[in-house]
Amino acid sequence: MVDIRDLWLTYPGATQASVQGISLAVEKGEFLTLLGPSGCGKTSTLRSIAGLETPSAGSIAIAAQPVFDAGKRIAVPVHARDIAMVFQSYAIWPHMSVRQNVAFPLDVMKLSREETRQRVDEALDMVGLRDFADRSATRLSGGQQQRVAIARALVRRAAVMLLDEPLSNLDAKLREQMRIELRDLLKRVGMTAVYVTHDQEEALMLSDRIALMNGGRIVEIGTPRGLYLSPSTEFGASFLGAAEVIPVIATRGRVVQTPLGELELEREHQDLASVTIRPESIAVRSVAEALPASPNRRPARVLGVVFSGRQQQLRIELEAGHRLTALVDPHRAYAAGDALQIEFPPARLMPLRKET
Amino acid sequence: MTLLRRWSALDAVLALLLLYLVAVPLVLLLVASFKPTGLPLDPGWSLVQYARTYGDPRFYKLAWDTAVFAVGCTLGALCVGGVLAWLVERTDLPFKQAARVMIALPMVLPPFLLAMGWALLASPRNGWLNVLLKDAFGLAKGPLNIYSMGGMVFVETLALVPSVYLILAAAFRNMDPALEEAAMTSGARWPFMLRRIFVPMLSPAIFAAAAYLLIVGFLVFDVPGTLGLPVGIYVVSSRIVYLATDQSGGTSAYGQIAAIGATYLVLLLTLAWAYRRLTAQASRFVTVTGKGFRPRELKLGPLKPLALLLVLVYFVLAVVAPLGMLLWTSLVPYLAPISMEMLPKLGLAQHRALLDNVRLAGAAWTSIWVSALSATVVCTLAMLVAWAVLRGRGGGRSLIDTLSFMPLAIPGTMIGMALVYVYLTISFVPIYGTAWILVIAYVTVYLSFTSRAASASLIQLHPELEEAARTCGATPAYTVRRVVLPLMMSALVGAWVWVVAHVMRELSTALLLQGDDNTTVAVQLWSYWAGGEPNKAAAVGVWLVVAMTLLTVLWQWLSHRRPGTTP
Repeated sequence: MVDIRDLWLTYPGATQASVQGISLAVEKGEFLTLLGPSGCGKTSTLRSIAGLETPSAGSIAIAAQPVFDAGKRIAVPVHARDIAMVFQSYAIWPHMSVRQNVAFPLDVMKLSREETRQRVDEALDMVGLRDFADRSATRLSGGQQQRVAIARALVRRAAVMLLDEPLSNLDAKLREQMRIELRDLLKRVGMTAVYVTHDQEEALMLSDRIALMNGGRIVEIGTPRGLYLSPSTEFGASFLGAAEVIPVIATRGRVVQTPLGELELEREHQDLASVTIRPESIAVRSVAEALPASPNRRPARVLGVVFSGRQQQLRIELEAGHRLTALVDPHRAYAAGDALQIEFPPARLMPLRKET
Repeated sequence: MTLLRRWSALDAVLALLLLYLVAVPLVLLLVASFKPTGLPLDPGWSLVQYARTYGDPRFYKLAWDTAVFAVGCTLGALCVGGVLAWLVERTDLPFKQAARVMIALPMVLPPFLLAMGWALLASPRNGWLNVLLKDAFGLAKGPLNIYSMGGMVFVETLALVPSVYLILAAAFRNMDPALEEAAMTSGARWPFMLRRIFVPMLSPAIFAAAAYLLIVGFLVFDVPGTLGLPVGIYVVSSRIVYLATDQSGGTSAYGQIAAIGATYLVLLLTLAWAYRRLTAQASRFVTVTGKGFRPRELKLGPLKPLALLLVLVYFVLAVVAPLGMLLWTSLVPYLAPISMEMLPKLGLAQHRALLDNVRLAGAAWTSIWVSALSATVVCTLAMLVAWAVLRGRGGGRSLIDTLSFMPLAIPGTMIGMALVYVYLTISFVPIYGTAWILVIAYVTVYLSFTSRAASASLIQLHPELEEAARTCGATPAYTVRRVVLPLMMSALVGAWVWVVAHVMRELSTALLLQGDDNTTVAVQLWSYWAGGEPNKAAAVGVWLVVAMTLLTVLWQWLSHRRPGTTP
C-alpha cells in the first residue's frame, strides 16, 4: 500500500541527513510501526509519506500511485495524497465542535449534507463519541480528543493512516487502554497503518511488523516476536528491552569463549560478536539446590534488590567481578549479600553476529 | 514542489512591498542628505548638508537636549513604573484591581492632550496651579514652569509609566515564587535574595523596558512639540517638524532635515537592534512554568496607606488633573483658571459649536476613514508577514522579519519626511498632500506592532493544526480560510482596533504630511491650540478622549477573549 524506495531527507541547514536511504513496503491492511530513539528519522519518514516534508532523494508511492519521485520530479501536494493522519498534539481545531472537526475532510470532498452526516455518525460511533458530537472540541479530555482525531482520520477512508506518536500525550493507564482499542479498531476496518513511536512496549503490542530505526536507517525489520526473541543486532537487542551483552572472544563448536568463561549455545554459529540474554531469562537458583553439572552455571552474590511489585530486579555480581541484572519471581525475598547460583539457559542465549 | 514555489512567491511579494514601504523612504532620505540641494533626484553629490549641520553649534545643543529628554523620561518612568508594578504585583496592597486600572488608564489619553492639560495647569503666566500657589504664598510670579526641559520630562514620564508598568508587572507576575523560596530555604535573607535572585532574574525585562523607553523617548513628538516648541526647546522630532513646517526655511531646510534624520536613524536602529537582542534573550530565562501559582506578597504593614497614596498621586497627576483641566477649559468661554467666580459662566457653548463646525466634521471623517483603511491594510499585511516568517520556508524570511520590525525605531516624523521625498520624487503618483499618503505612512508606522501581535497569535497555534487540515485534503488556501483565519481573528481584530485608536490620535506624521484636504482631528485640534483657541482645542480633546476610551475598552475586551471559546 505504501512503497518507499531509497528515501533521503536533509533539512535545510542541516549537516547530516535525517533519513538516509530508507526502503520499505507496507502491505494492505498491515500495521507497521517505525520504532526508534528520538532523532532516528522515524517522524521525518512519516512526514515525508504525508508530504509535509520534501525528501531530497528517493521515491514514495501510495496505493500504487507515485506521490514523490525525486528523479521524475514528482511531488504531489499533501492535500492530494490518499492519506489520513493522527498527530501527537491531537490537532483538534478549537473553534469547531466535535462534529465539525470530524466532518472537515468530507467538507473538503464536497459530499452531500446527508452523506456527510451519515459518515460522521458512523465514525463517531466507532470511537464511542456519538453523544459528544455537538460539544465544543476543547471541552473534551485528552483521551476523548484523541478519539476525535482518530474519527477524523477514519472518516476519509484513505488508503493509509499515518499516526505520529498519537498516544504519547496520554497518561499511562489511558495509554494502555487506548493501545488495544486503537489496534482493534484499525483491524476491524482493515486499515493500513504506519505508526511512529519511541515506546518499544507500544510497538510490540500494536504492530504486525516493526521497522527499528537508528541514525536515519532501518536497523532491523520484523514481527514483534521475531525482533524481541531473536534480534540480529546489538542495538535491536538492547532497544526492544533490557539485555545483558556478553562479548565473544572465540568460538569452538557450540561453545563460546567469553569474559565470563565458556558458555554453551544451543547451536553452532560462525563469526559471533557477542551473545546476549534478557534479564528475565537468567535463571537464579539458591546455592542449596543440587543441580546437574552445567557449563553455563556460575556462583554469584546479590549486590542489591529493587522490588517493584510485578517484578523484582536483582543486581548480581559473579565471582570474576562481572555484574549483571536479573529479573526474578517477586514472591521470593532476597537480600544484599545472599549467595546464589545463576544459569544462562543455552536456548535463551541470543547470538549476535559481527556487523559487517 | 508547487507548494514551495507558492510560498516563495508570497515571500517575494511581501519583501518587495516592505522594501517599498520601509527601505525606499529611508534610502531616499539618506540620498537626499548627500545632495547639495537636499532633494534626492537633483544632480551632484556633496557633504555640504552634513558640514552645515555638524558645523552648527545648535546641532550639539539639539543632540544634548534630545538625550537629556530621552534619558530623563526613561529613568523617571522606570523608577515610577517599577515601584508601582512591584507594589501591585508583589505586595499586599489593598484594592489591587482598582490600582491596576488607575495605572493603566492614562494610556487612553493622547500624550499631546496630557501635555495640553499640564500646560493649562502649570504655565508660568496663568496656569491654575501657579495661580493657586501665588495666592497662597503671596508670590510675585508662579513658581512652576511647564514650558521647560523639566516640565517636558515630567509630562513624558507620566505618559510612559503605563507601558513600563505593563512590561514589568507581567515579569513580576510570571516569576515562579519557587525560585525565591529555593533561595530562602538555602538560608538567604530577604535583601540577599533580592540582590542575588530577584534583580538578576528580572534584568532582561528591565533592560528590554529601558531600551523600549529610550526608543520612544527619542522619537516622540507630542510632549516636546506641545511644551518645548513654543519656547524654542527642541528635540530632534520637534526640530524636524519645525524645520519642515516653518515657511521661512523654504526647501533649503530639507537638506538639513535629511542630514539630522540620517544621523538620528543610525542611533535609533542601533537601539532597536539592542532591544531585539534583549527581548530574544529574555525568552531564555524561562520564568513561566505553566503551573498555577500565587506570587509571594510582601506585607506592607504600616506603609500600606503610603503605598496607596502613591498610586493615587500618580492617577491624579496623569489623569484627573490634566483631564479635569481640559474639561473645565472646554466649558468656559475663554481661558480662565478654575475658580468659583467662573461657575455661572460654565456652558456647553464650545461643545455645541463643534457640531456646526464644517472643518472639524471634515477632519473627523478623514480621521475615521484613514484610520479604518490603514488598520485594515496593516492587519492584512501583518498576518501575511507573520505567516511568511513563522510558517514559510522561503529564504526571504529574515529580510521580511527585519523590515517589518524596523518601523518600531523610525519616528513618525521621519517616516512623514521620507514620504515627502518619495512622493515629491515619483510625482506621477499624485498622492502628495492627500489623505492617501497618510494611509501609506500609518501602514508603515504601525507595521511593527501589528506584525508582532499577529506573530504572537500565530505562534500559539500548533503547526499540527494546519498540517491536520492539509492531511484531510484541504488546499493551503482552504486551510487558511477554515482553520488559520478563524483562530487568529480575535487577535487581528484586537490589533485593528489598536491601530484605529492610535491613528486617530497620531499627530506628528499627520502634521508633516498636512495638505489641503487631509487634515485629521488631531491636526485640527493642534491648530486650534497653536492658533490660540485653547477652549476649542479642549472641547475637541474631551471628545477625542471619549472615543479613545471606547476603543480601548473594545480592544481590551477583544484581546482577552480566548480563541475557541465561541462554539
